[in-house]
Amino acid sequence: MPEVGAAVGAAAANATISPLALFLQADIVVKVVMLGLLLASIWTWAMIIGFSFTLRKASKQSAAFERDFWKAEDIDRFYEARGKAEFPAARVMAAGVTEWRRSTAQKVIDREGTRDRLSTTMSSTIGAEVDRLSDRLNILATIGSVAPFVGLFGTVWGIMRAFTAIAAEQNSSLAVVAPGIAEALFATAIGLFAAIPAVIAYNRFSHGINRMESGLTRFADGFYSTLSRELEAQR
Amino acid sequence: MDRAEKIGLGVATAGHVLLFGLLSAGFLSTPNPLKLNSPPMDVSLVDEVALKSMAPQLSTQPPPPSVAPEKGPTEDAAPAPEPEPQPIPEPEPVPAPPPPKPVPPKPVAKPAPPKPAPAPPKKDVPKATPRPKPAPEKPAAPAKPAPAKPKPAAAAPARSAQKPAAKPKADAPARASGQGKAEKPKGSLLGKDFLKGIDTEADAPRKAAPPPAAAMGPAQKAALDAEIRRQLKPHWRPPSGADADQLVTLLEVRLDKSGNVIGAPQVIDQLGVTASNRPQAQLHAERAIQAVKLASPFRNLPAEFYDQWKWLRPLRFDARLNR
Repeated sequence: MPEVGAAVGAAAANATISPLALFLQADIVVKVVMLGLLLASIWTWAMIIGFSFTLRKASKQSAAFERDFWKAEDIDRFYEARGKAEFPAARVMAAGVTEWRRSTAQKVIDREGTRDRLSTTMSSTIGAEVDRLSDRLNILATIGSVAPFVGLFGTVWGIMRAFTAIAAEQNSSLAVVAPGIAEALFATAIGLFAAIPAVIAYNRFSHGINRMESGLTRFADGFYSTLSRELEAQR
Repeated sequence: MDRAEKIGLGVATAGHVLLFGLLSAGFLSTPNPLKLNSPPMDVSLVDEVALKSMAPQLSTQPPPPSVAPEKGPTEDAAPAPEPEPQPIPEPEPVPAPPPPKPVPPKPVAKPAPPKPAPAPPKKDVPKATPRPKPAPEKPAAPAKPAPAKPKPAAAAPARSAQKPAAKPKADAPARASGQGKAEKPKGSLLGKDFLKGIDTEADAPRKAAPPPAAAMGPAQKAALDAEIRRQLKPHWRPPSGADADQLVTLLEVRLDKSGNVIGAPQVIDQLGVTASNRPQAQLHAERAIQAVKLASPFRNLPAEFYDQWKWLRPLRFDARLNR
């Protein structure tokens, strides 16, 4: 491994500065920083890819479910057919229907109490669905705000080390200074490389979840008003 | 971790590995546009700058024209009949026959206006050529020389008179040439006549043209000073006493070309004289002069720079000299 590193280092010295060579030349602290940032970057992209799949699927299914729901003649039959699915709108509807059935099963129906329970149950289900969706979104936020600082820490450490090396060699020519500073700056580069997609994805997914939450709330309000009308009809 | 996240993780890992692999392999590599290896620079160490040029001076004037060839081609002079046989005695015949007619009138004519005294010779002397010369020399007593001169003039044609006569002649022919006696003066006055076209007055400065003697450079000057000091050092015994090391005696020394001191060194000045070392000051100066005398003659001084060391002023004697 050392000879590979030396060969890569020599190639980097005369041709270009390759990331692998910079990583291998770096100090242990800078190496740890670089590795951590690289893992953060991988995690960020894994979350971006997985989350965009999940969110798109959920919003698509919810939109189709709402469309079908408003066309449905009988809510009970529609619920029996499609109400057991595993996506937010179906769960909100399932919660509402479940509470409706429990409340109307008794002899004496407390209408106000039933309305309150329906409203509370569905809004809490919406909250639970949003929480479940945005479960790991805070990780993106953390990476987006912290990765630049971690990279900066690696850079400062590497530059300190480079200057110590200059002082030891008593030679301040650019050829001596440049590699150390380049490898130090590489830490910041990786930090930004991880942080920029994380910040963009966080904003994008926050917006998507907000939109989904407002969509679920609209659906729940519509369902609630339907159930409330049904409740008045029951004598 | 559901399926979507697993897919995401796999895709992200693969993407990072691919990206860094490509970067490491030189993908998107820009060849370093700034070649940071600066080539070594030639540095030449030059001497301290001197105010004087140390290069030998090139004479801007042309070398003096050679006179000999000009005299040679005198074809006019060649036909001159009588004087030709002997080139050297040439002048001799000239003064004898012609002088009476052309010469006396002219030289006499000059002295005549300022002094009435020479006037009598003018009448008396058709015979004596050299007369004009003595006459201006001694205006007070024209009478005595007059008789004296005729004898030498007659006896020895011009041997003795020749040289005095030569000068008047030089002037004379210029005017005399106009008179019909052109041929005979021509023979004797050949040189001057033929040099008419040449700027004879310029000859003197040309001979005195600056020699290519070099000025001394600072390094040579320092070496010369060091050499003189080295030779003075063994003979320099400054007096001891309170503050005696503050005394500085400045001497003026003249040297001849072999390094001997000419005359006695002179004390130009004494520096650093205080109340406490005043008793030593005189002794200090004497010791300095003694050191110069003992060190004489100075050896190893470069002869080509004699101008620089023929007059050592000031020659400094102080406590540092014997360090």
